[in-house]
Amino acid sequence: MFPKLDPLLHSELRLAVMSVLAGVESADFTFLKAQTGATAGNLSVQIDKLATAGYIAVEKGYKGKMPCTTCRITPAGVEAFDTYVAALKEYLSGGQA
Amino acid sequence: MTAQESLALISETMNNCRRAILRNNSKGFFLWGILLTVFSLVIYFLWHTTGSPNWNLLWFAMPLIGYPLAALAYKKKDAVPQNEVGRMLGQIWAVFGVFSISISALAVFAVPMNITLMIVVLLGIAECISGVVLRNWPIIVCGAILGIGGAVAAVLLKSEAQLLLFTLGGVLLAVTGLIVKSQYR
Repeated sequence: MFPKLDPLLHSELRLAVMSVLAGVESADFTFLKAQTGATAGNLSVQIDKLATAGYIAVEKGYKGKMPCTTCRITPAGVEAFDTYVAALKEYLSGGQA
Repeated sequence: MTAQESLALISETMNNCRRAILRNNSKGFFLWGILLTVFSLVIYFLWHTTGSPNWNLLWFAMPLIGYPLAALAYKKKDAVPQNEVGRMLGQIWAVFGVFSISISALAVFAVPMNITLMIVVLLGIAECISGVVLRNWPIIVCGAILGIGGAVAAVLLKSEAQLLLFTLGGVLLAVTGLIVKSQYR
């Protein structure tokens, strides 16, 4: 019996966002946009979904006069990400996803 | 997405992110390397032409110019975040900065000592540890040559000729920046 994959993470852009945030303290919206290659609108929607699930924390502020959105992964997000990766590895060791 | 595609995406994204962060850290090495080279050559030239070692006081202007320049270099619109390795590199060089300034100030105002010997050894150690953190052998070797070779040279060389050791250190730092930048391109 394979473990169920978290549907929230099983999306290309959301998974990319979580992968970036898993390796850093926090990241600006612009950095996330550059790293994922997503459009601002789409990225914004996916960030909201991850924030609503409690996987990431979003802080809106200003850098000088420019608005700045900073995201960081939460402990719940780290746990969900680790569980997702472990599930993927199990799929791979046991057959096709 | 298949499980394989998901894992590949995670691995690629993390790798790209790590590269971007470390590439960004190369700026610091390059900036301080160029500054060290320029300051050492300028002070060497002034000392050599006037015969006065008092020009060494100009070293205290280096952090005053360097830190604002570094802040400017890292203040970009698309700010690159920091990871564990980047933070460690920052801490290594911050410790080096604190020790260098403190020892120089002590040597000038309180306890006379061979500043070149002390600073060049510290510089070599900081460079060497940076290489260890980055797992980069050329940087480790550069640091060892600078620290150990520099210590011997600092005793053998006299007066303004010692400053050329800092020129070498500056060049090695700038080269380290180029190595890091090309390694994580």
